[in-house]
Amino acid sequence: MAYTLVVKSLLLAVLILIPFLTNSYFAYQLGLYLLYGMVGQGIALCWGKGGFLPLGQALFFGIGAYISGTILQDSVGWLSVISALILSILIPAFIAGLVGLLVFDRQIGSGPYFSLITLALSLLGYQLANSQVWITGGFNGLTGIGGLPGIDSYGSLYFFIVGALAISTFVLVYLIRTPFGQLLEAVRENEERTQFLGINTSLVKAAAFAISGAIAGLAGAFFAPHQGIVTPQVVGFILSAELVIWAAVGGRFGFIGPIVGAVLIGFLASGLRDSFAYWEVGVALVFILVVLRMPGGISGMVTSLLRRFNIDILSNNVSSRSQIIPKKNNLRKPVLKFDNVSVKVGNVSILDNLSFTIENPGVHCLIGPNGAGKTSALNALTGKLDYNTGNVYWSGKSLKGIRPFRTPKIGIGRKLQVPSIFSNLTVRQNIDIAIWVNRLNIKHLFSLRPYSWGTNLLKDLEESFPFLNKTDVHAGTLSVGQRQMLDFAMTVLAEPDLILLDEPCAGLSKYETEKMILAISKLAKTSKATFIIVEHDMHVVELLSDNVFVMHQGKLLAQGSLEEIRANKEVQVVYAGGSK
Amino acid sequence: MEALITFVLNFIYSSATLALIVLGLAMVFGLLGVMNMAHGEFVMLGAYSAYVVQSLGLNFIWAIPISILVCVVVGWLMEWTIIRHLYNRPFDTLLATWGVAILIRKGIEAIFSRDYKSVDQVMPGTIDILGITYPSYRLILIAIIIFLFVTLFAWYQKSKTGLRIRAMVQNPGLASAVGIDTSRLSTVTFIIGVSFAGLAGVLLAPLVRVEPYIGLDYLLSSFFILIVGGLGTLEGLLIGSAVIGGSDALISTIFDKTAGYLSVLLLSILFLWLRPDGIYSRR
Repeated sequence: MAYTLVVKSLLLAVLILIPFLTNSYFAYQLGLYLLYGMVGQGIALCWGKGGFLPLGQALFFGIGAYISGTILQDSVGWLSVISALILSILIPAFIAGLVGLLVFDRQIGSGPYFSLITLALSLLGYQLANSQVWITGGFNGLTGIGGLPGIDSYGSLYFFIVGALAISTFVLVYLIRTPFGQLLEAVRENEERTQFLGINTSLVKAAAFAISGAIAGLAGAFFAPHQGIVTPQVVGFILSAELVIWAAVGGRFGFIGPIVGAVLIGFLASGLRDSFAYWEVGVALVFILVVLRMPGGISGMVTSLLRRFNIDILSNNVSSRSQIIPKKNNLRKPVLKFDNVSVKVGNVSILDNLSFTIENPGVHCLIGPNGAGKTSALNALTGKLDYNTGNVYWSGKSLKGIRPFRTPKIGIGRKLQVPSIFSNLTVRQNIDIAIWVNRLNIKHLFSLRPYSWGTNLLKDLEESFPFLNKTDVHAGTLSVGQRQMLDFAMTVLAEPDLILLDEPCAGLSKYETEKMILAISKLAKTSKATFIIVEHDMHVVELLSDNVFVMHQGKLLAQGSLEEIRANKEVQVVYAGGSK
Repeated sequence: MEALITFVLNFIYSSATLALIVLGLAMVFGLLGVMNMAHGEFVMLGAYSAYVVQSLGLNFIWAIPISILVCVVVGWLMEWTIIRHLYNRPFDTLLATWGVAILIRKGIEAIFSRDYKSVDQVMPGTIDILGITYPSYRLILIAIIIFLFVTLFAWYQKSKTGLRIRAMVQNPGLASAVGIDTSRLSTVTFIIGVSFAGLAGVLLAPLVRVEPYIGLDYLLSSFFILIVGGLGTLEGLLIGSAVIGGSDALISTIFDKTAGYLSVLLLSILFLWLRPDGIYSRR
């Protein structure tokens, strides 16, 4: 971290010195590209960190420019300048946040919908800018925009731009180190898993998009006095596309890359655009190459080059877990009730009047042949699968229509069948996110304190699975067995009342299976939580289960102790391959 | 009454052309899971083919084979160099095809400049129908589109290739295990999809201003239709075209073009929020 701070301070010093080292026209041009670079930083926040690509970012830049242009047209006091800045930040942020909320609410992942909606918005902005002449001046643009009071637009305004850039860089770099930033990266890695850790992921993404809109608006606010004119091109899709290209070529995984991209391509373009007809075709080709072959862009290349010389500029300081959070007192008597739950997709019955009740804590195993509906039952319970009829009750409350991210709040933790962890985050970061479940509030979201949180359960888990101590290892490099264990640890760290484990021992070696069984039974004894474990391995069922449910073709076939189940004729028929 | 008939015919005409444009995108997105951001650029290539054919003094009909040739070559190149490596990586496909879209746009701009080109009316006359006078080219266009849809649908349902494609979509692994060459089939599907876009471009060329950036509008309206109609069914595609085309036409007539555009954009955002699977969904 110290290393990047040095690099960033050096870059800042260079930027401040540039007007003294070169001519003022060069600094003036550079000022414009730095503003574009700022917008690129917002794109990097959404795209590189959050995994969703805004294609119409010029809209927010343009709104900022129109707002500040309108205010600066009339008055020249500092009060109006400050109000222009504030409005240019808040209005784009509000629009971006609102659009983000609506679009992300029902869409998971980085699908095309969000990108295309933002592209369409930018097109709409362009049309409005052309047609609403009374606000925007139409095709000819907003003209006669004064500079900031007493500030020469061709001279000292440059330093204000560098100042704004320094602020946006500092804010973004800090933001990405906070729990908010870590959660944003978790959303990129695995949105579904993040939801089951109790995070309203659409809110996180919308907030990031709003922040990117705010930064674009701030850059736009400086654009108006810098250029003295604001035309519809400023909100348009061509600039939007260029902004994405600059961010990609410069490098979207950090906040310096987008600036490098904007400045580099900006200067090259101003020299070559007119003399070389195919210049923009070449830029598009470079963009495609970056997307396909070097996603990190220029800054990614520099980082990997430095790494070759053993200079790792990306390593994080790991704070010690000095603050032990006391154990939750949550052990009420759990009652889970499936009441005639049916799910039909087309002609296929997935769940067929499934009814059962769990009233005692302990380990309940859910077994049955493939396709019996075990995972679907858990999906119905956690809001991943809508059921046509029936209802599921947990502690007396109906769970119908519950959103997955709400399940941890009511004491339900779930491990998915395929181990889902955040591959590009470190083991430490994975565990941090799990510890934050139900404990992180808005105030913590932007402070660094939650990194020092630890629990006694974590200490126990680290004893059972020593690899959890390897804090700086990326989770994606773990073996399948270790991933299962990490996923298990993340599920239970929130200390839920109802723990759903979907095949926790799948893919584990015999030795690892024993370790997992030991960890589960230890936790079952100490926490008195209720476990539902979907399992095929009868050895695991034998060692762990207090109670067994057998499902077949979407129905409950039998229930009881393992001895009772083994003696059950119907179960024997199903498992021996006979027909019922 | 006459105004009503005119409106209904206009509505059918605009829905039909929209349906033709969205068809290729729906094929490629629905069957291959590839959001082809360059879809509109293939429409644009088709329109420019018509322009080139006319400026060479050839009969307009030549534009059809030429545009299909252009789209097959460009589409094949695109599939071969980019798409093929990115199946099952939807986000990267989005990015790469976005890059291709810019590439094609800028390429055409460099060759033909940004100016509007106009393609002459092929059939300037009108026909009296149901008591009103209506441009004959538009009526012919509606007929051609209906014919294309029926043929394609029958082919997809009855032909062996159609069966193979359906098998591939349902279970690619199993399809290749029983001897279906899924990678070739994907290439063919992609090329057919973009060729339909090119064909749409030719047919629309006499009615619109031809310029390098028209593709974007077509991409977005196709995308709105997919949101509203939902993926995977022909009914959804047609209903989506009617809803988007209809509300755009209606609001544009009452207020102005920008209001029409605003209304379909808001409609799409609302659909994404309230009915994320569209009116007609496979699920």
